[in-house]
Amino acid sequence: MVETFIASGIQYAAYLLEIGLFAYLILWGHGRRLFGVCLLLVSFLGIDWIVRPYALIHFGLKSRQYYYVYWLSDVVLTLEAFGLICFFFRRAFQRHQKLWQQMRQMLAWVFVLVLAVSCVSLYFNYAHINFMDEFQQNLYFACLVLNTLLYIKMQSMGIEDEELDFLVCGMGLQFAGPAACLAFAYLTRGHHYDSLFTYVTQLCTSGMLLVWFYAIVGVPRGVRLRFNGENVQHLAVR
Amino acid sequence: MILATIILVSSSALCLFYLQVTCHKILKREFAREYFTSIANANRLEFVFVRRSLQEYNAPVDYAWIRLALKCDYLALTYLLKNAANSKQAYSREEWLLMLYFRSLFLLLSFLHVLKLRERPAILKLTAILQHFANRLGERVSKVRFGNLSASEYLLTL
Repeated sequence: MVETFIASGIQYAAYLLEIGLFAYLILWGHGRRLFGVCLLLVSFLGIDWIVRPYALIHFGLKSRQYYYVYWLSDVVLTLEAFGLICFFFRRAFQRHQKLWQQMRQMLAWVFVLVLAVSCVSLYFNYAHINFMDEFQQNLYFACLVLNTLLYIKMQSMGIEDEELDFLVCGMGLQFAGPAACLAFAYLTRGHHYDSLFTYVTQLCTSGMLLVWFYAIVGVPRGVRLRFNGENVQHLAVR
Repeated sequence: MILATIILVSSSALCLFYLQVTCHKILKREFAREYFTSIANANRLEFVFVRRSLQEYNAPVDYAWIRLALKCDYLALTYLLKNAANSKQAYSREEWLLMLYFRSLFLLLSFLHVLKLRERPAILKLTAILQHFANRLGERVSKVRFGNLSASEYLLTL
């Protein structure tokens, strides 16, 4: 009873944050500038409010169909988050074209590598479910490493974009928790896996959305990067 | 198995890293002016003295006194943040995060003391959080006006 109450509380808090942030971005005219963030939020909302409830009502909680819908939608969200990290890379290095070309190639190779590692794992351990778990764990971890690389590179190059700093930190939180959780589940052979993964994922999503809220809404004007002339183009996350 | 262990350890470490970085970024915020000295003087807070004694005079760490002083300052500042010039009577999300960070660092300080490791960096981080709280409080109070006077100007007339 208490466990259900806590889980529902965390879940609905995350939903409210998703709606709140998305509404703020659209109503205050940040939709174009932060297109990537908007797209991810729309996907979160669509999956959390339409796709998963629909599958739950029609197939039931214990059904195989719901399981597939749940994990496939999670993989889609992770892929979108990977895309968003690519947008962040572009925003950070838009003034350094040569570096951005190298980064673009690296991002493509990382994705191919993650896919290859997961396929090899599937070959040795044939099961669709294993493949999805393994692929997602690897993708989460690859995104986390890329995100950290981006953060370190931004600091070393002295790129002053306070908003992007916070967006990257939020993204790091979103990836670190579930990646650790998936690895923990693998090591403990799945004991308490579902509830743990749900808690951690929802908490990390809420953490990410709170940090993004602070980045977009809460960062005081004195700290925020001033937009003028060339900077507007440089800041576009698209 | 090895890959999963590496992922578990590094992801957990990076999760804590990102939390810490977020807190540090919030703490780096610059205020229009330094409000913390007047707040510390008005409420007899000791964190300014603690930091000065460690940074400027390189004094040895008196763990028991510092722990008590920081704890009392934290309680006073969090109470004031919630109740002084705050119409909502509630903490903001940012304040919640920093309070959580303070408590974690406070716990870490106890571990460092028990293990006899360097406590100075943790204490300085704790004072930085308290300074941020005092600055926020000062900023909030300075916006409250009694007729043509700000809160501090009003107090000087008493």
